[in-house]
Amino acid sequence: MRKRIPVTVLTGFLGSGKTTLLNRILSEQHGKRIAVIENEFGEVAVDHELVIGAQEELFETANGCICCTVRGDLIRVLNQLRKRRDRFDYILIETTGLADPGPVAQTFFVDEDLREDFQLDAIVALVDAAHISGQLHSVAAAAEQIGFADVLLLNKTDLVSEADLARTERELRAINGTACIVRTRNAQLPLAQVLDLGAFDLERALAKDGEFLQAQRPFEWAGSYALAAGRYGVHTGATRHSAHDDSVPDHAHDHDHEHGHDSAGTLSEVGVVVLAASAAGPAGIEALLESASERFAQPGVALRAANGSGGAQLLPGRHFRLQLAAHADFSMEIPHAGAWVVFCEHAPAEFGWTLLGAKPAAEREFGSHHHEIEITSIGIEDQRPLNPDKVNDWLSYLLQSRGQDILRMKGVLNFRGEARRYVFHGVHMNFDGQLERPWGTSERRNRLVFIGRKLDRAELEAGFESCVA
Amino acid sequence: MSAAALRLRRFARLDLGDYPADAVWSADGGALLVAGGQGAMLWVDTRAAAIGVQQFGAHAGGALAVTWQGGGRQFASSGQDGEVRLWDASSREPKLIHAGAEWSEQLAFASHGRLLAVGTGRALQIFDSGGGLREQLPPQPSVIAALAWRPKASELATLGSGGARVHRLEPQLQSSEYPWQGACLTASWSPDGRLLASGMQDGSVHYWNMRAGTQSQMRGYGTKVTLTSWSANSRLLATAADQQIIIWDFSGRGPEGSEPLLLSAHTARVTQLAFQPQGPLLAAGARDQRVTLWRLAQPQQPIDADLLSDEVALLRWSNDGLQLAVADRGGGLSLYALR
Repeated sequence: MRKRIPVTVLTGFLGSGKTTLLNRILSEQHGKRIAVIENEFGEVAVDHELVIGAQEELFETANGCICCTVRGDLIRVLNQLRKRRDRFDYILIETTGLADPGPVAQTFFVDEDLREDFQLDAIVALVDAAHISGQLHSVAAAAEQIGFADVLLLNKTDLVSEADLARTERELRAINGTACIVRTRNAQLPLAQVLDLGAFDLERALAKDGEFLQAQRPFEWAGSYALAAGRYGVHTGATRHSAHDDSVPDHAHDHDHEHGHDSAGTLSEVGVVVLAASAAGPAGIEALLESASERFAQPGVALRAANGSGGAQLLPGRHFRLQLAAHADFSMEIPHAGAWVVFCEHAPAEFGWTLLGAKPAAEREFGSHHHEIEITSIGIEDQRPLNPDKVNDWLSYLLQSRGQDILRMKGVLNFRGEARRYVFHGVHMNFDGQLERPWGTSERRNRLVFIGRKLDRAELEAGFESCVA
Repeated sequence: MSAAALRLRRFARLDLGDYPADAVWSADGGALLVAGGQGAMLWVDTRAAAIGVQQFGAHAGGALAVTWQGGGRQFASSGQDGEVRLWDASSREPKLIHAGAEWSEQLAFASHGRLLAVGTGRALQIFDSGGGLREQLPPQPSVIAALAWRPKASELATLGSGGARVHRLEPQLQSSEYPWQGACLTASWSPDGRLLASGMQDGSVHYWNMRAGTQSQMRGYGTKVTLTSWSANSRLLATAADQQIIIWDFSGRGPEGSEPLLLSAHTARVTQLAFQPQGPLLAAGARDQRVTLWRLAQPQQPIDADLLSDEVALLRWSNDGLQLAVADRGGGLSLYALR
């Protein structure tokens, strides 16, 4: 079989730096002969011999299924390019700012001609660090591009503060838990971070660790306080949105709430743990983070605000679920003076947390929660061996019922009695899976990630559970 | 000579030195013209004492398409340089008739040789046989994926995403729409001009009966359908899906509800399929590097076959149906005579 030519897809809004990056790639001495297919007629060196313009054209099917929609322009151009394959060894596709990466990726799964000669290498999204937050709230295509990407190039980082960058990274991470985030200025970065990544290569992509979601923590915020011994009042205020994994406003709704949260929902409860820290400030949070995440992974004890004075007591070292009401007040008993860390399931601003008479000396946010952005990542990790037939049933059902909503999925599975890993990936309803390297001495562990719209963790976990052999 | 005894006799095996992007026989069958994927324009004089490949021109970046003027002494070519050239077959001197940034991938002379259609993305131009621009049509609603002249007429079908259009050029321009949701990939008129068939991206074949004003489709292909070819008597439509050749019979009440004839001999995807002009044979080429010749009266196995050294990329019958040119991806060209 002939070697397939790798294809990198470059997405990103106008102004995110795609053109700069393309020009850099074309002018750099990397020893590759790269053909560029451009959908956006920009300032790319058009006199370059292998820059080809193509008008974006969607090939829809008679049944209207978006999972079967492919890009006719790419099929046509690549069909011609494969006839002069000796003249180049890499393809870059630059899409228009508002392009949906789905049909682009699907083209390489669905079209036989392209599948035989080309290998989708990775989808790279250029992100303007200063503007992506606003774009995510105002343009549906922004979240789709983030959700589809294997690499997120956070560009123009010199124009944004470190705090804003960190917050932006958290936002991106919440949508796409597996993409590699690379910070750049002026699209300056080693090309090895963009080309030849093998993200769609079953043999390569899933062999690596770190491709999967980081452990999901039970907390999204921690604050370190220097406190004297005594009783502190805890106030929780007006609540602004609903519980964690659901609450998905529709598109029309999105636009009304560019910078706010969905006002319709309310948090009914929030998990909180108070722990004595060994050090003040960020170091104290850091020291406790892992053990606290592990120890308090399960939901805590419900704590209802008392009616009388003083309120219900929030004792250190225990996991509580504060029952929130319009003005639910609690109290916190601090046995000795020193550094204390409060871990919260949601950021304080979201449920009006105030520790009366004290301000955090240091704060840290872990996950993020753009509750109004409907594209999220959900990861599952589990060691139990699976039944291949049941996995097949589940994934088939999932693709048929949720294929339109699932942007990307990938996984490594531990089949009972099988020495090799089963690896798979998918784009919408298009799916590739096969047995790969043996597990050998490494830990046999299932790892799956779904990135998509309106994903339901409980549904996915139940489906997974049904596959346990 | 009995038809059953027909065999492929290879009379030349040549190295094109380029990927065969397109090819066409001269009207008289004395020469084969090949457009190279790397750009070479190649001429093969098939009646020479020593048959060789002669490069007479080039399209920078790669040639896309060639077409021969029906019954005439001219041919046209297009390339990734954005040019369309009209060539005199005797001198092999070109005349530039169109230049632009976009590729003119669709190129076809009408069977009477007086009109040349050029499809460039959504743009459609009609030239006269002297290379003069006769019509510049308004942009088509989608990129022209295929175009074909109705046999013995001045009517041109253009197909793409969203269906077909038929443009009648004479006495004056008149375009009619034949909408169909889905992406049409091929355009094949039955030789009697009655039926227009198109292979579709969504794994079906759609056809319009232009006389009756009806349309229908055959579904169930597992892959997109890029090959459609009519038999000389307009009765059979050959198509392919993966390794299998699928023949629909349009006689009587037509293919609706009928079972197609399946020809299974190839072990990899069929890449080329063409009925013999003015004859009963069907030739196919595939990624299994084989070319097969079929008589549909004996569909169990091909009446002849040949093994090439690479995957079959092109297969072209001469107009009289007595010569067959087959080119492979490696640039090998085999020429066969039927006897």
